[in-house]
Amino acid sequence: MKRDWKRKIIGGLCLTSIAFVFQACYGTPQDFGNDLLIEGQVKSKNTGLPIKGIKVSVADKVQYTNTDENGKFSFYMEKIQNPKIKFTDVDSTQNILFSNKDTILVIKDSVMRTLKPTVYLNIELENK
Amino acid sequence: MVTMLKQVLFQEFKKSETKHHELNYLFWECTTRCNLNCRHCGSDCSKDSFYKDMPLDDFLKALDTIESPSENFTVVLTGGEPLLRKDIEICGREIRKRGMRWSMVSNGYLYDNEKHISLLNAGLGALTISVDGLENSHNWLRNNDKSFERVDIAIGLAASSSRLNFDVVTCVNKRNFHELEEIREYLIQKGVKAWRLFTIVPIGRAKEDEEMFLTDNQFRELMDFISESRTRKGIDVKFSCEGFVGEYESKVRDSNFFCRAGINIGSILIDGSISACPNIDRTFAQGNIYADNFFSVWQTKYELFRDRSWTKTGKCAECKDYKDCQGNGFHYWHGEKKNVLVCHNERLKKTTNR
Repeated sequence: MKRDWKRKIIGGLCLTSIAFVFQACYGTPQDFGNDLLIEGQVKSKNTGLPIKGIKVSVADKVQYTNTDENGKFSFYMEKIQNPKIKFTDVDSTQNILFSNKDTILVIKDSVMRTLKPTVYLNIELENK
Repeated sequence: MVTMLKQVLFQEFKKSETKHHELNYLFWECTTRCNLNCRHCGSDCSKDSFYKDMPLDDFLKALDTIESPSENFTVVLTGGEPLLRKDIEICGREIRKRGMRWSMVSNGYLYDNEKHISLLNAGLGALTISVDGLENSHNWLRNNDKSFERVDIAIGLAASSSRLNFDVVTCVNKRNFHELEEIREYLIQKGVKAWRLFTIVPIGRAKEDEEMFLTDNQFRELMDFISESRTRKGIDVKFSCEGFVGEYESKVRDSNFFCRAGINIGSILIDGSISACPNIDRTFAQGNIYADNFFSVWQTKYELFRDRSWTKTGKCAECKDYKDCQGNGFHYWHGEKKNVLVCHNERLKKTTNR
């Protein structure tokens, strides 16, 4: 902690706060960790069984994933205010037809500030 | 006066950083396989690498030796071409599970929409892609007729993501030197926000090819181009931290030159060697993850990286800028290490200021 202060004071006096944000000459820029982990499970409301092949996507973003055989999903996404997560039955009648569902996440500041911000979603879909 | 004071303070800052040598940035040379055969490659990678990709578990065992990783600790996947690994997303997720971040250096050839999404899903946070000119000059350097077409798609995707801290790098050589303004406009039009320019190190395949290397006058023109570009809006242009550039130090970068190899930057290379940046002479390896505890090596070795007084030899011996430069980029010390391979400062001094 003491060393951090010394570092910041000397770096600040150099008028180069950028001194702390570096990249190796053949490396990438630094990542400032502006994301959170969304994970969870999708089940049938009627049977309680996990549903495979449900598309889980973020509204207005390119990202999506599909639930696995245990109905589970997991992906990192950019930290944004109240993201809308969409659950869509993309394989149609292959494993019964389920209604689509949208969920707007309200994420507490305390979660956002943690080292590994994570949101777990238990989703139930109704039969169509 | 202010400039001198800043220089002295920065020297103190470097001393302090060197003394504490906090590991912030770890290269993982996860493969040496490559899908291109670039003319300037410093690593002599090839389609059929001598080495097998390092198993993820071997790397993780080394990573897990790190006690209390620093706040911004990042693992940078490099190669070869990292996207040739089929388990790249699994690698990324395992790094994120440990509360660490990861990023990647790529030639962009395999970076399509599907890969873009799967990498974001796996927690990729920063990305660097090489664009070495407009179509003809890029394809020439990359030795592949489709390379530009593919990288054009890749940078469009990467630039469209507000999550990724993304930049483009360009190795400036005699062929693309006259295209720099056009490349800048092209990148702005693609939505790229940051552009880093390099010169080519005379090692690997490049060293025998005159077309790779700028003349001293061209090098000064490159500094002028970067300096002028930094006064414009639209894209953040900078010279890489490859070397000390004397009078241009405050004009071409955000911060003064500071080679952090072995001070804040470590690496685990394809054969398990523990070193710093992957382009550094491999005889500088400090240990091997298959025999040593990685973090213990980081904490207790790296003397040659943290005390660079041994570089005060050859043309550096009498240099009055040595305190600011300290032997230039560490990757410019090869072979017998009796003289620095390239002195950017000397190149600039050879040319007259216009």
